[in-house]
Amino acid sequence: MKRKALLLLPVAALAVLLPLVAPDPSTTNIAVFTMMYVGLATAWNIMGGYTGYISLGHAAFFGFGAYALGLIMVHLNITPGYGPFFLVPVVGLLTAVLAVGIGWIALRTRAATFVIVTIAFMFMMQLLAENLVKVTGGGGGLGLPYPHDWGGDFFNTPYYYAMLVLAVLGLLTSWWIRRSKFGLGLLAIRDDEDKALAVGVPTRTFKLTAYVISAVLVGMIGAVYAYYVTYIYPQFVVDPLIGISMVLMAFLGGLGTLSGPVIGALLLEPSQLEFAYRFGASRLYLVFYSAIFLIVILLLPRGIVPSVRDLIGRRRTAKGVT
Amino acid sequence: MRKPLSIACVGLGLLLAGCGGSSTAPAAAAPITIGVSVSLTGDFSADGKALEQGYDLWAQDVNAKGGLLGHKVTMKYVDDASSTQQVVTNYQLLINQDKVALVFGPFSSLLTIPASTVTDRYGYAFPEPAGGGPKVFAQGLHSIFFVQPAAVEDNLVSYTKWLLSLPSGQKPTTAAYATQDDPFTQPQVDKAKSLLEAGGVSTASYKVYPAETTDFSSLALQVIHANADVVILGTQEPDAVAFVKAFQQQHYNPKSLIETTGPDQGKDFSDKVGAANTEGIMVPAGWTPDAKAFGNDKFVSEFVAKYGGSPGDISADAAEAYSVGQVVDQAATKANSIDNKALITALHSGTYNTIQGPMSFDSVGKPHSSTGVYIEQWLGGAAKFVYPPNVAAAKPEYPKPNWQ
Amino acid sequence: MGAFAPWFKMTLVLEAAVLGILTGGVYALMASGLTLIFGVMRIINVGQGALVILGAYLSFALFRSWHLDPLLSLVITMPLMFGIGVLLQIVFIRPLKTDREALSVLVTYALALGIEGVLGYVFTSNLVQLRAWYETASFAVFGFHITYVYVFGFLLCLAILGALFLVLYRTSFGGALRATMLNRTAAQLVGVDVDRVSAIAFGIGVATAAAGGVIFGITNAFNPGSHYDLISRLLTIIVLGGLGSLRGAIIAALVMLVTEDITAVVISPVWATFVFFVILIVVLIFRPQGLFGVRVRERI
Repeated sequence: MKRKALLLLPVAALAVLLPLVAPDPSTTNIAVFTMMYVGLATAWNIMGGYTGYISLGHAAFFGFGAYALGLIMVHLNITPGYGPFFLVPVVGLLTAVLAVGIGWIALRTRAATFVIVTIAFMFMMQLLAENLVKVTGGGGGLGLPYPHDWGGDFFNTPYYYAMLVLAVLGLLTSWWIRRSKFGLGLLAIRDDEDKALAVGVPTRTFKLTAYVISAVLVGMIGAVYAYYVTYIYPQFVVDPLIGISMVLMAFLGGLGTLSGPVIGALLLEPSQLEFAYRFGASRLYLVFYSAIFLIVILLLPRGIVPSVRDLIGRRRTAKGVT
Repeated sequence: MRKPLSIACVGLGLLLAGCGGSSTAPAAAAPITIGVSVSLTGDFSADGKALEQGYDLWAQDVNAKGGLLGHKVTMKYVDDASSTQQVVTNYQLLINQDKVALVFGPFSSLLTIPASTVTDRYGYAFPEPAGGGPKVFAQGLHSIFFVQPAAVEDNLVSYTKWLLSLPSGQKPTTAAYATQDDPFTQPQVDKAKSLLEAGGVSTASYKVYPAETTDFSSLALQVIHANADVVILGTQEPDAVAFVKAFQQQHYNPKSLIETTGPDQGKDFSDKVGAANTEGIMVPAGWTPDAKAFGNDKFVSEFVAKYGGSPGDISADAAEAYSVGQVVDQAATKANSIDNKALITALHSGTYNTIQGPMSFDSVGKPHSSTGVYIEQWLGGAAKFVYPPNVAAAKPEYPKPNWQ
Repeated sequence: MGAFAPWFKMTLVLEAAVLGILTGGVYALMASGLTLIFGVMRIINVGQGALVILGAYLSFALFRSWHLDPLLSLVITMPLMFGIGVLLQIVFIRPLKTDREALSVLVTYALALGIEGVLGYVFTSNLVQLRAWYETASFAVFGFHITYVYVFGFLLCLAILGALFLVLYRTSFGGALRATMLNRTAAQLVGVDVDRVSAIAFGIGVATAAAGGVIFGITNAFNPGSHYDLISRLLTIIVLGGLGSLRGAIIAALVMLVTEDITAVVISPVWATFVFFVILIVVLIFRPQGLFGVRVRERI
């Protein structure tokens, strides 16, 4: 346990000091998106990893959070600057209300049907964003006011810290859940839901709670994203690609583990942005990406963290035996 | 509390910028790189290629005469996979990591806006070929310049003028509209609708459809049922083709048909609908291969020499890209500098001659041109300007002949 | 016009309904493969959309090189796609042992991306469309023109689905397939080679994608990126119909397209898909297993 904490310290320090250590805006920009996915993967893992219910529609909450912040800022004439960051928890609350509604319906189904129902809800959200033109601006998009006086070299930094705060919040929540009875209940649901129900675990409430928690985090991250890119469109925030990326990262790193989603995000996001920048023009970028994807899934089906743990564990026992 | 922190950061930033030099002019006659984010994969990728061709041809021409103010130009293209995250990242990387001297804009309105807020922060001029919807200018940024003869919403104004100028026996009485919910197509169609209604043409049908629609048969059905004299469609290429086919299938022959994009894609369009069926279809266009505008003959002949095909195959996107280069070249000459700040100041005044005609820009980047956007019509297998009369290569064909 | 208005609307609605049925047939064809794969292997093939596009491009390539009529090209592309399907199953799906359902989503998604990338490299991302004489030729029925391509597509759908039903209910292989769909372990116990059955079922599912691809490719402009929209529609269709139910996929496809087309003319095109989703959600609230799905404990 102590060893783990010692390992974490330099990582945490780097995370906090990153904008000072590497102030180049192109780096901090990638850091913003990377930290965003660390948070998203961690949040998604709370539902997908612990309960085993795979939601492929979390982008609905991401987009909802993005539009929520945008609409609040536009209609309440919020001056851009540091202020809007404090509206993010409000967006979280609104997302919670939405998640309870959607979750109540979606969680009536299980397994494969649940997966597809979440996708359906995501597309419904996208359609609402597109068609409620008077509210959201529809296909023309919605512009968020942003601080013009922050200057190119500084601009990315506050957003990075906002994403960092949300990612840490997600990690702390995830860590707390694992150590709690609630978390135990979730894992029981993942193993065998009917048995869990039989032994008295309040499965409906637990599932819904996990779903809402993960949705709230995703929604808040979506809000910060919207504020960062300053202009959003329905198909780019209620974006299935964002939804599946967070799932992939959690899987890659290790479903149900704490550090798994973090590692998955740290590996995939910066490399994806850089690859698209350098090789996108050759069109083989997609093939390359999918090949990596397939190799990892087939070789490490449980994800990186559990596989590495197993490897270390086996080495240790081998040493112990000799 | 805020000021000292931001001052410190700006100070740090300036220090680093001084070392990086994003806005200082490179040494005289040193070669420069111009960065562009182009959609080579994803939703908007078909047009990305045409844009590249236009930019490349311009770079070739400008280098042939010694470079941009003596600087040899290299174009650097990066793929944004039609994604906001990537386009934001791309311009940040182009400006801060690759330290390009100048940037040009990406293909669509959708990506232009988030890209423009990034480049504006670094003081870069942002001449762009394709983001001209009202929301682009509503941003109020002073570094953006939409290089086309008119803001997008005015694209159909010429067409409405022509319709309303027809003699009373021929003038249409009803119109049917269908448009994508898209910042490029909808503003034009809406403006045309209000102008035509004011001119006495009543609206038989008006439908807005989602950009993601793939099956247009039921939409076409509604337009057909409206049985209007003229049909005005706010389309991108796929729907432009789909509507034409649906009208053919149902043997529906409006007196006039205009689509906002699609018929201006040259061979790409005529291949898909069939050459005989293009006859009479109209499209707003700022450019045709035989337009008599600055440098157009040269552009067309060089394009065909470099990429093959015939003049009619050239997509308007390539011409728009080329115009961006022309504008920057003239601004640099006028300002005698390729520094972004100087270019921005220069671009806000004066007239610039491009293969799309002469244009000037107001303080938020909206273009103004005495000529505006014209009507192009397919006649005998080739697209020609037909209105206004002073640029027309042929007389407009009305009513549109029936489908083959 | 006033007195005729309701009548006009009625014909418009009827025409929309007919259109919905005809295009529904195409989606039924594409969805049937998807639901079959799920039924046999309990996996969601998120790559089915990409496979449909692949089928469309194969026909396109044959058309471009040899001027082969798209429908005729099926003679080549369907067996070819069958082989591709079997290969994909053996290489990428069979190795998945744990967490099958979840991992298969990711694996098939990766395959979809890979297919998209290869197609993009070979064909570029320009929109293309399959051309044939029956894409615009039509015959009139009460003043409404029905295009031949939809009729052919519908007939093709009936033919293939009919063949599928024959195989399922009249052959011993079909019996083995159905047994595997009902209970994989029990089937194994009675001697069914579930691995072989799975591979062949996947192959069949992909072969139907080829057929769907041809009709889709004639009626829609497509490019390598078109699979996203397609797969989302197919997935919602099979959920409405009931995962694993062939009958359900067909009915659901018709329901989807007819609803959408009627909504488009009665209300507005922008709400067409939304209304379908609402119907889906309502059905799932009362029948989480879909219209024809089987409610098995822990198996919905």
